[in-house]
Amino acid sequence: MQQNRNALKVAMVAVLTAVVVVFTLVVRIPTAKGYLNLCDVAICFIAFTFGPWSAFIAAGLGTALADLISGYAQWAPISFVVHGVEGLLIALIVRQKGNEAVSFVRKLLAGLVCIATVSLGYFALSALFISTVSVAAAEIPGNIAQSGVGFVLGLGVASAVKKAYPPVRSLSW
Amino acid sequence: MTINTFVAGKGLLYRFDPRAKLLTVILLCIWFFLPVSLVGLYTVVCLLVLVGALNTGFSHIAKTFLSILPMLLFMVLFMPFNVRDGESLISIGSFTLITTEGLEQATRLAGRFIGITYACTLLFATTVMQEVMLALRSFHLPYKAGLVVTLAFTYIPFIAESFSQIAESHSLREAESDQGKRIVQRLKDLVPTLTSALVVALRSIPNLAMSLELRGFGSEQKRSSFKDLSSYRHPFTHTLLSCIMLVVFWVLFRVQ
Repeated sequence: MQQNRNALKVAMVAVLTAVVVVFTLVVRIPTAKGYLNLCDVAICFIAFTFGPWSAFIAAGLGTALADLISGYAQWAPISFVVHGVEGLLIALIVRQKGNEAVSFVRKLLAGLVCIATVSLGYFALSALFISTVSVAAAEIPGNIAQSGVGFVLGLGVASAVKKAYPPVRSLSW
Repeated sequence: MTINTFVAGKGLLYRFDPRAKLLTVILLCIWFFLPVSLVGLYTVVCLLVLVGALNTGFSHIAKTFLSILPMLLFMVLFMPFNVRDGESLISIGSFTLITTEGLEQATRLAGRFIGITYACTLLFATTVMQEVMLALRSFHLPYKAGLVVTLAFTYIPFIAESFSQIAESHSLREAESDQGKRIVQRLKDLVPTLTSALVVALRSIPNLAMSLELRGFGSEQKRSSFKDLSSYRHPFTHTLLSCIMLVVFWVLFRVQ
């Protein structure tokens, strides 16, 4: 039985990692300053639906693989840490017992944590390892917009998927 | 969607042991942060680019540089104005615009950025992903983690293809095109497409889990296992050569 559960966990994390990669690379919405990618939508959806560990691994690994594939390999370790922690924290905040609904306050807190983790995480780590404080600071507004939009869309998508595909509730761990 | 970063070739780097290559890239990334002279830093970057050109060709270098050019330009143009130490180089009246220290830091940062980016890109251009995974396995990456990455790579094209088909179907059902719509409306319109794509992806999880069980995943006697890197015969020599080369660079170019 444990073996079956392990196979399911591996399958689930692998597919969710692929989902994060696809949402990061394929879905791009043009804005005035460039592109918004939807990795945060996938991460928030996973955090809301599958729990902290799935969110941590799939979010971290998925964004790191997307960086490797698109030729920004030096960002991969940073993306792994920032987005992994983002997924983990959101999932821990919105984690609920049984079928009770997540309160608005917890959703709001999760949203703020999501934005803060992405913008400050990228700022701190890229200033430390890749660029400088001033260059990293210039990316904060873009990261705030992307994670904010991602969180709101992720919330909507998570609720829609639970309605469209109810067995998804049994996959959380 | 292209997920393959490998560039086919027969150069020296292709015959170099993947474990040694992986270790060299990690050590090289650390080396770029050591206190070395600017001349030394750019010598190593130039050598790296030269080795890359001999193995993957100039078009691959051009592609890599074009992809990092916007960020590189932003870095180099922005940085000198923020560092106020050192002697004044360019000033307007009494206001110092660029200092020697600012220019040196910007040049160093650009060199480091190019070096790290190109070293990482070269690793994935000259090593197939399966061998990268095997190299990571030899550094004790857990079996399950390796399996997750391999499976994810298998599923990326499938999910990307499903997503494109669903997005096209949804756009065909809409009377208006996306052109005149505001960004909020375009984001709202994305929800049904994303939901459908996610449901398609989630439906594949039970099938994949069953396939893994049928292949004996988790059982004591494994029916399948990773291939090995035995075709590379000199892992120790290659690793030693890489380490010696980096130590020599450090001795030659360190700041006294």
